[in-house]
Amino acid sequence: MITSDLPAYRVWAEQPLTQPPKYSVVIPAYNEAERILPTVGAIAVHMSSLGEPWELIVADDGSTDDTVDLLQALELANLHVLIAERNGGKGSAVRRGVFAARGDVVLFADADQSTPIEQFGDLLATIERGHDVAIGSRAADGAAVANKSMLRKVLSKGLNLLVRFGFGVPFADTQCGFKMFTSEAAETLFTYQIVDQFSFDLEILYLAQNRFDMKVAEVPVEWIDAPGSTVDATKVAIEFLRDMCQIKWFDIRGRYARANHVRPAPSHHLRAIAS
Amino acid sequence: MQLVTDRKNTERPGLVLAGRFDAFETDAFREAADALLAQGSSSISVDMSDVIFVDSSGLSELVRTMKHCREAGGELYINSPSDPVRVIFELTRLDAAFTIVDA
Repeated sequence: MITSDLPAYRVWAEQPLTQPPKYSVVIPAYNEAERILPTVGAIAVHMSSLGEPWELIVADDGSTDDTVDLLQALELANLHVLIAERNGGKGSAVRRGVFAARGDVVLFADADQSTPIEQFGDLLATIERGHDVAIGSRAADGAAVANKSMLRKVLSKGLNLLVRFGFGVPFADTQCGFKMFTSEAAETLFTYQIVDQFSFDLEILYLAQNRFDMKVAEVPVEWIDAPGSTVDATKVAIEFLRDMCQIKWFDIRGRYARANHVRPAPSHHLRAIAS
Repeated sequence: MQLVTDRKNTERPGLVLAGRFDAFETDAFREAADALLAQGSSSISVDMSDVIFVDSSGLSELVRTMKHCREAGGELYINSPSDPVRVIFELTRLDAAFTIVDA
């Protein structure tokens, strides 16, 4: 018999949770008006099908297009839109989303569905086996990568060698936009985060590995390069190298010896969600 | 994505899609849909029961094909969309534009 996930989705879409969510999904979004609605739809149906309370948080990053208006017009009961006055970088958007999240487990996922939400269960299984962080990996054995350009493949490979052997972060892929944390790990890592730009993932993994000795596992995922991506791979690679040096420098100077952000108190947090 | 043309119903030939319908797949879809229209079909059925995700490019392509069908005096029928596709249609308000047929 074919079962439908629609009834569970309808409940999620129409009835605000009456208990804390078990899962939080955070999507950072900057000028994603073209892509965000299909992504919300796919995530909402899949997550609702799991049968656990969950919330979706879209952390806008100062979009100048209709991203926020489109999301607010949906009036989905458990979708929370965090509005930013200005563009602060992907890392800052994810941090705001993580700080607003109430779930026991927090996933951040890119807005383009390049890693399909159906991989949620694979990362969750890793967390449930006792890991603090589970990172989607396009380079681990078993990963499936489609439509990635040769330039991006070569740059990724070269940068990864540097990350592994020169930076002390022993993962084959640090930049996949699909990462899961226990709530405790998420709060700790993003409290100490400094980098607000593209390389924030690298910093988070550096902290998890070198400062907090967390259990981190790479999970192979399916990944489809997002059509219409405007990422300039060469520019991003240069910024990545710069950020890698900066993170080391921050560490040498003791910038990670203390928290760099404070998670907003619950009352503030609720106001942020309501905005 | 998998794309199969089904000509068994000559009045309303069909395209059967499976997988992910995004910008990487729209050229193949357009070629298949235009071929059916060029062969004299004014209506096309698109089976989306096994489509797991459709992005804005795929949605645009469906709208384009719907317009061409209507210009030819016919209709584009979306057959049994999967749950995520149905919700994506709803969130983008395209459920009101498309003719959706459930099995």
